[in-house]
Amino acid sequence: MLVDNGNFFPVSADELHRDKAWFLMDGMQLLGTDAVGMSEQELKYGRGWLLAQLKRSRLPMTSANVWDKGTKKTLLPPYLVVKKGGLKVGVFSLTSDKADLGPARDSLMVEEPTKAATRVMAELKKKGANVVVLLSQLGKVESEDLVTGVDGIDVVIAGRNVPMIQKGRLVKKTMACYGGERGQAVGRTIVTLGPDQRMQSGENDVFSLGPEVQDKPEILAVVKSFNDAFNDKSRKLEKEQAAKAGIAAGGEGQGQKASPDRYLGMEVCQRCHQPEHQQWLTTSHAKAWQTLVDIKRDATAECVGCHVVGYRQPGGFQTGDDAARLGNVQCENCHGMGTQHEAMPTDAQKVTEATCRTCHTASTSPAFDFAIFQPHIMHKVPAHLPPLPPNPAKEKMKAGTMH
Amino acid sequence: MKPHVSRLVAALVALAVAADLAAAAPGKVLEPGKLVILSTTDVKGENEPCG
Repeated sequence: MLVDNGNFFPVSADELHRDKAWFLMDGMQLLGTDAVGMSEQELKYGRGWLLAQLKRSRLPMTSANVWDKGTKKTLLPPYLVVKKGGLKVGVFSLTSDKADLGPARDSLMVEEPTKAATRVMAELKKKGANVVVLLSQLGKVESEDLVTGVDGIDVVIAGRNVPMIQKGRLVKKTMACYGGERGQAVGRTIVTLGPDQRMQSGENDVFSLGPEVQDKPEILAVVKSFNDAFNDKSRKLEKEQAAKAGIAAGGEGQGQKASPDRYLGMEVCQRCHQPEHQQWLTTSHAKAWQTLVDIKRDATAECVGCHVVGYRQPGGFQTGDDAARLGNVQCENCHGMGTQHEAMPTDAQKVTEATCRTCHTASTSPAFDFAIFQPHIMHKVPAHLPPLPPNPAKEKMKAGTMH
Repeated sequence: MKPHVSRLVAALVALAVAADLAAAAPGKVLEPGKLVILSTTDVKGENEPCG
């Protein structure tokens, strides 16, 4: 069975990211997700919006301890009973009672989690649940405390700022899964049933899906379609916001004009550093902007920052209109702002791995190995440099979902 | 967790594949006597590595 423990709405609360929220709901439904928990994040656009989207998407969301102050009922079904191969799997979710419910705070309240869990467990027992899964938004310690104090919870999926732990562990009699966050990994909990069809033992691990695992074409198509539309909408908003802030192409907003330091763009650098510029033209850095254009992410803010010079910084890239002058990973990305030229290191080795890692992170650039990649962007390329190793992620990038 | 395999796949795509790994058909327990639960946690709107 497939579950999500909530807090899946985007961190940003703007209209653009609200689109992503409903898209994720549709996506989960499309995947056949059996149960979804709720955190306060799912209430950030208001209770009415959430309820409307749940009705539209038919996503099975549950919450045991978020109550409507007016009706004196829980906002969502307090638990779900999912039937799997003759088993009844009870699933319920708990929201932290420290949560700020945002726009819903006046009409909703969060019940103390242990009290809610005790009540729900009694109801699930009556329903004959063979296995009970808690989707917890209580954090690591409170999740563990709760399953220690409330009997009968077989599995807890711990969420809310919980670090990823490769192997889950047994907390009293409950198998705990610590799956990290931001879609980095999938938790896998295997419950072994005894003759009485109850949990006899459990094991858990957390795994990531690399390029060796093929994507599902129909889901990939849906994701790509959404991301393309998201990018188009981002471009439109970017232009509107730039106009509002008085930003002209190649310029900066009113708030940035006071800065003495600014990005200048490669046109200035190459006047004195022509050999370095010519070598740079042979690197992937010189194609970084086009890469985004090709996969239609050239207006997606989360991507643009690592494919241009000084994104939203003084003198740096503000909108797509700056692409010709400030697109690509240029001199100043590695060496610093042009106005700080006097302070720049003269030894190329002083561009350290830390500089590269600001963009080449484990998630955005999983194949990156400083020792192997760095020689390829050095301005004095070593003789007989072996080609970069094949990057299986390239094909996925072409598909438009990842690096 | 090796860095080169972390967050490689969009959450939804990951889930799609994961769902396949877990059960060929909804509602089936593939291995008798075992229940496999796949889970995602705090996705926070991430549906691809850079957003």
